Amino acid sequence: MNKFAIGCGGLVVILIFVLVVGGLALAGIYNRLVKLQQGVDQSWAQVQNVYQRRADLIPNLVNTVAGAANFEKSTLVEVTNARASVGRVQLDPSKAPTDAAQLQQFQAAQGQLSSALSRLLVVSENYPDLKANQNFLSLQAQLEGSENRISVERGNFNTAVQNYNTAVRSFPANFVAGMFGFAPRPFFNAQPGADKAPTVNFNFGSPSPAPAASASP
Amino acid sequence: MFIVMNMKRDVSQKPRTVIEAVAASTSTTLKTHSSPVHATRLLKHRPLPGSTRGPRIIWGALAANSLLPDFVSSLILAAFFYVGCSSLHATEVIPPKPDRYFNDYAHVVSAEAGLRFNEQLAQLERDNSAQIVVAVFPKMQTDSSIDDYTRRIAQAWDIGQKQTQNGVALFVFIADRKMFIQTAHGVEGALPDATCFDITERHIKPEFRAGNYERGLAIGIDLIGQALRGEYKGTGKTVKEGEGPHNSPGPFIIFFIIFLFFIINIARRRGKKGYRYSGLGGPFMGGWSSGSGGGGWSSGSDGGGFSGFSGGGGGGFGGGGAGSGW
Repeated sequence: MNKFAIGCGGLVVILIFVLVVGGLALAGIYNRLVKLQQGVDQSWAQVQNVYQRRADLIPNLVNTVAGAANFEKSTLVEVTNARASVGRVQLDPSKAPTDAAQLQQFQAAQGQLSSALSRLLVVSENYPDLKANQNFLSLQAQLEGSENRISVERGNFNTAVQNYNTAVRSFPANFVAGMFGFAPRPFFNAQPGADKAPTVNFNFGSPSPAPAASASP
Repeated sequence: MFIVMNMKRDVSQKPRTVIEAVAASTSTTLKTHSSPVHATRLLKHRPLPGSTRGPRIIWGALAANSLLPDFVSSLILAAFFYVGCSSLHATEVIPPKPDRYFNDYAHVVSAEAGLRFNEQLAQLERDNSAQIVVAVFPKMQTDSSIDDYTRRIAQAWDIGQKQTQNGVALFVFIADRKMFIQTAHGVEGALPDATCFDITERHIKPEFRAGNYERGLAIGIDLIGQALRGEYKGTGKTVKEGEGPHNSPGPFIIFFIIFLFFIINIARRRGKKGYRYSGLGGPFMGGWSSGSGGGGWSSGSDGGGFSGFSGGGGGGFGGGGAGSGW
């Protein structure tokens, strides 16, 4: 009788011990996942930040370029439109997207703006008065800096997501992740066509009076 | 990317000859297309010698477009260059942390000018805590672009203070004829990209083009220093100077060796009585310790000749800054 009681008590102690240890381990894993998720959200905020910085430069750039003598209007319209469509794909800046399609849409809109901008700057090479314009030159430098920052922050974001996804998917943590709803996050893909060199069209034969050899996207 | 760089090289380095080449080649272009409009257009599209800048690296991707023969030749050149690169497969080298502010690995600046620049940059850190490092390399050792490569170097070197992230780095690659100013987050306000570009493009580049590396660097350092003046408050000390006196093991080693000599001397004297060894030991020991302890070692290793650089753990290089080629 006495022995049984002692045995029971021992069992309870062992059970409590196991529960405490298990709970602590669970808490540890949970906290690590939360921290990694915070990291993802934080780097997403940075990504939004640098994209916003670029978008903010555009009105000024468009005004400066439009001031140049008979600047090709189609390129400017394209940039303005792309800027507007970027504005339409607004994602929550404080929380990284959980939906891959959402991020895809965001990336597509920003990519469109990138190519419109690069076309604008390429065309602007053909306007000597624009290239001598200090305002334009400084805008161009800022725009390039923005592009560099974007690529850095995108890289940081992808690294953060990769760390988080690895943690969510690897063995003991995946149970915790499933229990508390930590889903893997989507990340940026390489720009489609970024690995290919840009192509140049030489419209020497075309009768159009366009001042520049037009570039295909 | 290689194609782009090569085209730009062609365009920006020899504007006059390019224009002559256009003039020569337009006759053939005219024959095939028979339109006089194109001839003037072609000429107009070349960067004029008086224009302040050539096409830029990232955005100029499609820039040098209207000149067919020039384009073809640079394409061939690019192809060769690319094949050469891929066969060698140059791996990237991130240079080790420097121990000075001004580092001339390409030997384009005289020794005393190098020391002067170094002191100037060290004084800047004492005055306003911002760390500026200048590094002149013979060539780039990477397959990546200059902005990406130099950003990673600056990040690896821990330039800037940890709390304020106020590091600036000016990188120059002589053989590539390129330079870049990298700015960490903390100095992006004082040194926005446009200012960096202005410094490299309008102030340093003309000097470099003329071969005056020393003068170009002096101007660049002055301008960066001016831009940062008053932005932060310095402690009157550099990170290296704040690290405390003499961390190097040099003096300890010397003491240890002297001590060892004593022990050996004593042991020998005890072992071989009558052998007059001490006469030799005394002056030899004295000369050695004063020679190495006083002159050679300590001054060479720690700050006697120049102000040493030690990164403040800054980081925060997020793609800010700008650069030019010359």
